[in-house]
Amino acid sequence: MTLVETNPAVGEEDRPVNLWRDAWHRLKRNKLAIFGLGIVVLLAFVAIFGPYLTPHDFLSQDLQARNQAPSLAHLFGTDDLGRDVFSRVVYGTRTAFLVAIVVTAIALLIGTTLGAVAGFFGDPYDRVIMWLTDMTMSVPNLLLVVVINASLKTPIARWMETQYMATLNPFYRETIWIDFFLVFGSMAMISWPPYARLVRAQVLSIRSRPYITAAMALGLSNRIIMMRYVVPNALGPLIVSVSAGLGTAMVLESAFSFLGVGVNPPTPSWGNMISDGLRVWQHHPHLLAAPAAVLGLASVAFSFLGDGLNDALNPRGTK
Amino acid sequence: MTAQDTKERLLDVKGLTVEIDGRRGPAVVVDGIDLHVTKGETLGVVGESGCGKSLTMLSLMRLLPNKIKVTSGSADFDGQDLQKMSARALRKVRGGEIGFVFQDPMTSLNPVMRVGDQICEPLLYHRGMSRQDARKRAVELLRLVGIPGPEERLNAYPHELSGGMRQRVMIAIGLACDPKLLIADEPTTALDVTIQAQIVDLVKQLRSKLGMSVVWITHDLALIAGLADRVVVLYAGTVVEDAPVDALFANPSHPYTRGLLASIPTLSDAPAARLSSIGGTPPEPGRRPPGCPFAPRCPLAMDICRRDVPKLEPISSEGSHRAACFAVQKALKAA
Amino acid sequence: MLRYVATRFAIWIPSVLLVMLAVYALAFYGAGDPIKLIFLRAPGDVAYNPQRIEAIRESAGLNKPFIEQFGYYVWNLLQGKFGNSLTSGRSVWALVKAAAPVSFQLALCSIVLTAVVAIPLGMIAALNQNTRTDYAILGSALFLWAIPAYVAGPLLMVALIVLFPGAKVPYGWGGVFDMRILLPLFVLSFQPIALIIRQTRAAVIEVLSEDFVRTARAKGVPEMMVALRHILRPVLTPVVTQLGLIMITIVNGAIFVELVFGLPGLGRLTVQALINSDYPVILAVTLIGSFLVMISNLLVDILYPLLDPRANDSKRSR
Repeated sequence: MTLVETNPAVGEEDRPVNLWRDAWHRLKRNKLAIFGLGIVVLLAFVAIFGPYLTPHDFLSQDLQARNQAPSLAHLFGTDDLGRDVFSRVVYGTRTAFLVAIVVTAIALLIGTTLGAVAGFFGDPYDRVIMWLTDMTMSVPNLLLVVVINASLKTPIARWMETQYMATLNPFYRETIWIDFFLVFGSMAMISWPPYARLVRAQVLSIRSRPYITAAMALGLSNRIIMMRYVVPNALGPLIVSVSAGLGTAMVLESAFSFLGVGVNPPTPSWGNMISDGLRVWQHHPHLLAAPAAVLGLASVAFSFLGDGLNDALNPRGTK
Repeated sequence: MTAQDTKERLLDVKGLTVEIDGRRGPAVVVDGIDLHVTKGETLGVVGESGCGKSLTMLSLMRLLPNKIKVTSGSADFDGQDLQKMSARALRKVRGGEIGFVFQDPMTSLNPVMRVGDQICEPLLYHRGMSRQDARKRAVELLRLVGIPGPEERLNAYPHELSGGMRQRVMIAIGLACDPKLLIADEPTTALDVTIQAQIVDLVKQLRSKLGMSVVWITHDLALIAGLADRVVVLYAGTVVEDAPVDALFANPSHPYTRGLLASIPTLSDAPAARLSSIGGTPPEPGRRPPGCPFAPRCPLAMDICRRDVPKLEPISSEGSHRAACFAVQKALKAA
Repeated sequence: MLRYVATRFAIWIPSVLLVMLAVYALAFYGAGDPIKLIFLRAPGDVAYNPQRIEAIRESAGLNKPFIEQFGYYVWNLLQGKFGNSLTSGRSVWALVKAAAPVSFQLALCSIVLTAVVAIPLGMIAALNQNTRTDYAILGSALFLWAIPAYVAGPLLMVALIVLFPGAKVPYGWGGVFDMRILLPLFVLSFQPIALIIRQTRAAVIEVLSEDFVRTARAKGVPEMMVALRHILRPVLTPVVTQLGLIMITIVNGAIFVELVFGLPGLGRLTVQALINSDYPVILAVTLIGSFLVMISNLLVDILYPLLDPRANDSKRSR
């Protein structure tokens, strides 16, 4: 106690402390985090521009060249239908990012809204929302997704069918979208609780500060408190949470595809590629190794980045 | 100090320098301190928070946190240098020969361990006592520090005791092995005034009963007046004045000591009188001025003060009162 | 103490019911009519005979309102009746009874392995904070956390067979004392181990900065004993509270590990049920999984005051 008190000024910079700049400096010194950031940026680039870069179409089959080992023409070889594995992995990156971003965005929206409502309006909203949060978190998330997924499949398919009947818009006949909707919906429904908890905790801690109590007594609106005090304070932990959440969502998506309830073939996803690869790994290990390695890399990268961000934005434990 | 009482010195610290690894390189927090404690003496160490009092005492026992290091100096305790001692030997000294009482008993006691076990620990490790014997001794100790119902208290957890009780437990731990020296680091700051007085009385009593030396660290000069035999005033990691307690209060020499004394309210002050205070703040570690560290705040500062660092020199005839101030030394020469 | 346990339990029961209700509702409204599901699988005369379907529905109580059916379901659950599997027609209870011991043994071993491996490693990392040892342990933990079981499992299986050609292929179940359990056990424990290493490390670092650790050193307590008595003890509290989370990762992981290593446990049952849209089974395994996690949380709640004496004094908000 005394020690901390005796030298608070040591190591602080002369210029006014800027949280973000400080965090960036701390992040830069963390080699693992920078490695993670590099991989994430690379993968994002591949996800956005990948389809324009790949030498082959991810769907085009070349039955003359099936199950080829990696070569210059096919960097990761070809699969049992003669499709270029590299192109499929690249396109899988796109799937992974699409799912990760959409799911995280929905979860963030649900989570922050519920968390803010719980924090600002208190009981009974708080109690109900927290109960919901605890419950969602106490069900093994994979099983919950399985249930949600199994339950939503029929209604969504039915809805798409009626939409098509009504509008004749070909969009509604694209069965790929059923997969995506299912994955988005079920994953978002299990991913929001951490954000809700975080935002609620922030709101509560801000609300209990005397100057906010004073401001509220003077009639400051919740919206202003939210924008001016809660959002800036919650941003750091939220960023950490989102970074971790993106990685988790990617792994989860591939997990579902692996189990056959996620994005279904022919849309390439790392998970269904791994699942396919598992069946023939004795003969064609590259079919398993390529997607597994990329998924592992992505997951590790997000995990390193999230960890580094946590250290950088919450520097409490690092001194 | 004359040569003959050097022998009686229980603790003799010379040129102790402590540095902290900051982001902008090492910064000196304790700057070549000399101090000593003779046998049976109570030494008061006084200074504002941040002046390096606690760090000095912690560094003696090599209890500094990772980023803070002793870079030079020695600390002889009973003829052995604590700084060079093996970790094993040092462990015997810690708790065995030097007892420590920390500032905040709430955080300094282990919250998930029974009070009795915490008192027994030094007995088990230093005295090799059996559990039963250690518990008996622990009861004695609790009684000694004035805790009623000591047998039951042994099984209490720290959070079940009041603040004063907890500090008594801390003292009991410090005293467990009849140490030659008890270092008390602001043991009363977390307590209210009546309890404070009780604790001070307790330590005074125990000292005369047990014949140990005491180092009492505090920022409270008034408290030290009734407790210490000798007082060392620290400022920004240096000793600025070292004097017998009566001499210090009768004749404070260093401008900093004078400022500190002037800021103590007394009953004779007119009710409307403003408390005096020393303007400015102490320098941050790593940003101390080139000369005397107090110069920027000193009413008597001269050119030399901003250039050179004053040494601690005797200012009384028998040499027991020393101060590190060019102005005082100059006035003395002039007289 | 008994009263505390009783209150915890009283709070716990409605949560369990609520989870059950939510899961049941999802299956009820999502899956649609179970009778139709059954007959759609085995199309025959019955599927096209509305009267007979209606008769079966009535006899099975399926025309009753939702809440009544749910009550009926819960009532049956209490008697160990989970209904029948849509694919095999066998009772779900029998399927679960056959599969559960495998998963439970695996989970228990995994928890023990996690505690034995992760807590010491986390402590070592924290005590050597910001050294190479620390980075190595922390880096491995992050790696283990990130690598999915269905990636690690096959790769390790390949590695094992390549490195030890004589080794028995780790496929199938032979009980806890069979060598084949080792690989799945480790793969299953990767995530929990990673989680606990990081938790322990963070907790130790926090405790290390506590004043009472300094007090222990000032008392001359040997470093080893400082670590064991003064650091480990307070660290156990936050680590033990992770039990629920560990349970979640284990239940999740079991699905993949059992699939990859061919273990006849609940995880594999889940996957099969999922592939076949076998709702009664899905419902049952989900409930069992949630139950396990919630039991773990209840256990933590009950253990908490024993671990942290301060918790008794209504200072539970830490």
